[in-house]
Amino acid sequence: MKKNSSVVVDLLLLLLAITVLTTPAFSDLVLSKVERRIDVTSQIARVTKTLKRGKRKAKRFLVVAAFTNVLQPFPEKITQRDIHLVMLQESAQYLSPYVVESQSLSIKLPNARIESYTKLENSKVQGSEIKYGPYKNLAQYSYAPIVVHFESKAAFAVAERLVREIEVSHWGNVQVTEHYNLVHRGAQLKGEFSRLEYQDRPNPQGVSAFRHLLARLPPRAHSIYYRDDIGNISTSQMQSDSKKTELLIEPRFPLFGGWKTFFTIGYGLPLSDFLFASEGKRFLDISFGSPMIDLVTEKLIVQVVLPEGSKDISVTTPFAVKQSHEIKYSHLDIAGRPVVVLEKNNVVPDHNQKIQVYYKFSNINLLSEPLMLITGFFVLFITCIIYTRADFSISKSSAAYLAKLQWDEVLATLQEVQNIIQKCLAAHDKLEASLRDLSRTGDIQTCKATRKSTDSLLKDLSKELRPLLAALQSFPSASQISPKVEELVAKEKELQEKLMARHTTVVEGYEKKSSGRDIENRIASQQQKIIALRQEVDDLLEFIDEI
Amino acid sequence: MAATPIASPIAVAMYPTLSGITLAIGLIVTAFFFIYEATSSRKNRSLGMELSTAAAASLFLGFGSLFLLLASGVYV
Repeated sequence: MKKNSSVVVDLLLLLLAITVLTTPAFSDLVLSKVERRIDVTSQIARVTKTLKRGKRKAKRFLVVAAFTNVLQPFPEKITQRDIHLVMLQESAQYLSPYVVESQSLSIKLPNARIESYTKLENSKVQGSEIKYGPYKNLAQYSYAPIVVHFESKAAFAVAERLVREIEVSHWGNVQVTEHYNLVHRGAQLKGEFSRLEYQDRPNPQGVSAFRHLLARLPPRAHSIYYRDDIGNISTSQMQSDSKKTELLIEPRFPLFGGWKTFFTIGYGLPLSDFLFASEGKRFLDISFGSPMIDLVTEKLIVQVVLPEGSKDISVTTPFAVKQSHEIKYSHLDIAGRPVVVLEKNNVVPDHNQKIQVYYKFSNINLLSEPLMLITGFFVLFITCIIYTRADFSISKSSAAYLAKLQWDEVLATLQEVQNIIQKCLAAHDKLEASLRDLSRTGDIQTCKATRKSTDSLLKDLSKELRPLLAALQSFPSASQISPKVEELVAKEKELQEKLMARHTTVVEGYEKKSSGRDIENRIASQQQKIIALRQEVDDLLEFIDEI
Repeated sequence: MAATPIASPIAVAMYPTLSGITLAIGLIVTAFFFIYEATSSRKNRSLGMELSTAAAASLFLGFGSLFLLLASGVYV
């Protein structure tokens, strides 16, 4: 206790010393003109002070300040029918440690009723402005308290808590999601709310409430939604042009003093409007505060979610914010996305300036997302392959299992037979082609050569067929199929012979230089049979195919 | 230092078209895979053919589903 009081005494002594030592310096400085202008048309009091020092080498200072919660509702509780009166407490004389030669104050009130104001000398009302001054040659620390009591029609909308999530996706989109907890900070509503009186025309009662909120979003905003925990809120309008997108929203009920509501607004923005590259780093250039005009935010939390694989993250803001880092797990993430969380209290629309978030990212990291999907699908296919190849039977010697094995072998043999027959048919087609070439070019030697090669090929194929046929006959389960297969092979052989015969006849005809018609006549009968045989072969092949 | 705007590597307007094409090709190759599985017998099946068809199908299906997600507004 003793130590505490001695510290306080020390501090006081220090302060006194400074004041004493610097007072001469203060009293040398004289402000020649101070003009103050207070704008209270909205819920925020905006004070603009112009300070001028010196007459010949005049230096001018311009100070702009915005104050929240200085307009006190008076009376503090009103009914639905009353008008909303607020009170502003100020000093008509500029409180400063310097001597001021000439000063004036003008208060701009909203275009409504002025209930009362402190009347000093040199005070007058001009329209909706109250002017105090000019006061000449006032001493240091002069102070004249005034109170202005007036009606305000402004919406006292205050967001108790606003969470703004800005998610950057390098595939082309910046998604902004804003969660609002709104409250009306004006005079509280006492008594009941009557919807009838509120909607009565021509005299609606409920001037102190507000219904609409206007948000100015960046241009080219798309996929805008406005919903709350219940669902979509349809009372909203959107108007867009090349410079901005205006969203006018209407909460589910009008807000009277003390009433609260909560909702979420979300919209997407094109990436190239907000993401830029400079000096090897990328940066996101986006506005910090809420896009709503005339909204005071008591606690603003901005979460900037950067894509996975972003490194060296830093934030540049034109004013002080509290920074921290988090991780968010979202779609197709392995390690999570880095999140920069910026917090600020008591935010006014003047804070809606651009902030920059710098980070490093290479486009290769974008590939990890499709790779994950590809791997997923590949695992599915591998499972299919393993399933068709794996043997899940419990007993390896039961009759059903052995029958299944045999049937597999029958199918395999059938497939091979089919392949060989297809090859034979291809050889037939080659023969026919050579005949057509002959009729075109008249070259007999190549025709004969083709016939010879085809002949040898067909002999090889029939040799391959023989063991397969034998195997097929040995399977008891193939007892129905093997006669058909044999029939197929026999027919194919017949077709072969007929084709060969025809070929020989035609070639001989060319050698003897007999006319075309003679040749035609000779092979006419053969031609019919060939066509019929071919048809039968095709039918049998189809039958085997369907097994 | 001049700041150049960054856009996505593929034009955003192309996402629906690309997703349709790649998904169609992917599904056709999947069909080939399953037809091969169904019609080939145990002895004749070749693992190389199976794996290559599966790889091609999963590649096209993976990209197709990615573009489908992007085209429908889920910017992953």
